[in-house]
Amino acid sequence: MIALGWLVAMFVAAPLLVVIPISFSDAVSLEFPPPSWGLRYYQAYFADPRWTQPTINSLIIATAVAALTMVLVTPAAFALVRHRFGGKGAVNLLLMLPMVVPHIVIAIGYYAFLSDIGLLQSFPGVILAHTALSVPVAFLVLTASLKGFDRTLERAALSLGAAPWQAFLHVTVPVLWPGFAAAALFAFVQSFDETVVAIFVSGATTETLPRRMFDSIRMQADPVIAVVSTLLFGVVALLALAAMLRRRAGG
Amino acid sequence: MRAVASPATGDAGFAVPAARGTWRPWLLVAPLLAFLAAFFLVPLGQVLVMSVTDPEPGFGHFVAIATDGFFLRVLAQTFATALLVAVLTLLLGFPLAYAMAEAGPRMAALMMVLVTMSFWTSFLVRTYAWMVILGKSGPIAWLSATLLGGAPPELLFTRFSSTLAMVHILIPYMVLSLYAALRRIEPAVLRSAASLGAPPVSVFRHVILPLAAPGVVNGLTLVFVLCLGFYVTPVLIGSPREQMIAGVIGHQVEEFLAFGEASALSVVLLASTMIVLGVYHRRFGLDRLWG
Repeated sequence: MIALGWLVAMFVAAPLLVVIPISFSDAVSLEFPPPSWGLRYYQAYFADPRWTQPTINSLIIATAVAALTMVLVTPAAFALVRHRFGGKGAVNLLLMLPMVVPHIVIAIGYYAFLSDIGLLQSFPGVILAHTALSVPVAFLVLTASLKGFDRTLERAALSLGAAPWQAFLHVTVPVLWPGFAAAALFAFVQSFDETVVAIFVSGATTETLPRRMFDSIRMQADPVIAVVSTLLFGVVALLALAAMLRRRAGG
Repeated sequence: MRAVASPATGDAGFAVPAARGTWRPWLLVAPLLAFLAAFFLVPLGQVLVMSVTDPEPGFGHFVAIATDGFFLRVLAQTFATALLVAVLTLLLGFPLAYAMAEAGPRMAALMMVLVTMSFWTSFLVRTYAWMVILGKSGPIAWLSATLLGGAPPELLFTRFSSTLAMVHILIPYMVLSLYAALRRIEPAVLRSAASLGAPPVSVFRHVILPLAAPGVVNGLTLVFVLCLGFYVTPVLIGSPREQMIAGVIGHQVEEFLAFGEASALSVVLLASTMIVLGVYHRRFGLDRLWG
């Protein structure tokens, strides 16, 4: 069973690696194994505004989404973890809704809705849509971290004469900041990776990186996609490595 | 957990928002609720409205979906594929999750890294990887040409390629669900079963499998629901003649601006998803789905 498990682990991991040699190929079109090696596709990626602009757009959108999501989700997470009130169960379900509605369904809705209010293909339009989709994951991460918070720390601060806002700023926030950071990161990634809604609501000047990749794969399978894939994969690998080192260091 | 600050229990003065009136928590939740109402529920409602008003009022689109051979085939195809993908991820994911639970901590950590790295890699990157692997100038074609001296059958743009890629993309969800359940099994339980004379096969059948059942249900539900609405992978590497429902919805809008038809299909997809999750929610509670 364990040997079989390793086999499946290889099936999970190995296909991801194929993009790396392709990205360093020097062939004019997709060819395996690459006849010669080079950085021509990397040059093509970094020199072509049709690739760099969507990358920048995605970074801008995902940053704005992470910020807006945290502003909306943080107070709600505190309320739902620390209070009991009527309708709480319904609120919890509503907050999960953007995660369970298939993206193609809400993409059609956003297309119609954003064109009605004149925000189709605009930055605010994409940001609003992505923020709604990022709420559930940020909320789940934040509430998990809040539930583990020991409130006697706040009580100690208050009993030592701190004002409530001081206790919040100097005790609650420093203890919970990894949770805040993780929630913001999840919101960022959710937006940065989101494809389906972006295909329908982003436009020429607001095109996101996944939309550009999707169109490019659909049109001609440009090998520059292998470069983008390798770079994205590299970021994930670095994050995984950082998380592993942190855990080993007992962080 | 009763320690939640409440003025009634003598914690007065600790003004970290206490449940003085029930309106206080609502004040904190209100901005988020207002946002979701305006920028999620309204667009979603618009889909429902368009399905019965565009281009003219009536249930014509739903009648068409229920009677038209094309739409019925798409629906059957979608459900069959989702079921197949869910079962395949279970069959493949179980040995991996089991190995993670049984192997030593270092091996388990390594497997976990592989699974999470795949999990965090964008759907598009993983779909593109399969496009390269199965493509005419990819490693499979190269191997087949060098070893067998001929080109393999057309693999890309078939049901096979999209099913394979979806299994690969969704398997981390299954493995993480199964692992969460398997990890909770006490080694002492297995030891006592063995010491009472159960052979390994019956330990597996009568102890491990029943205890893993919640993970199996979670994984199957999650993968089935995600696969039902899958857009990117079937559109990019599936068979153009055998699209799943999400691809057809997108096509109706992109090619024909047929919002009414696309919305009606969306309602069918949404209802199917909600029925599956509703049954899950009644039996287990939706918050468990994400472990």
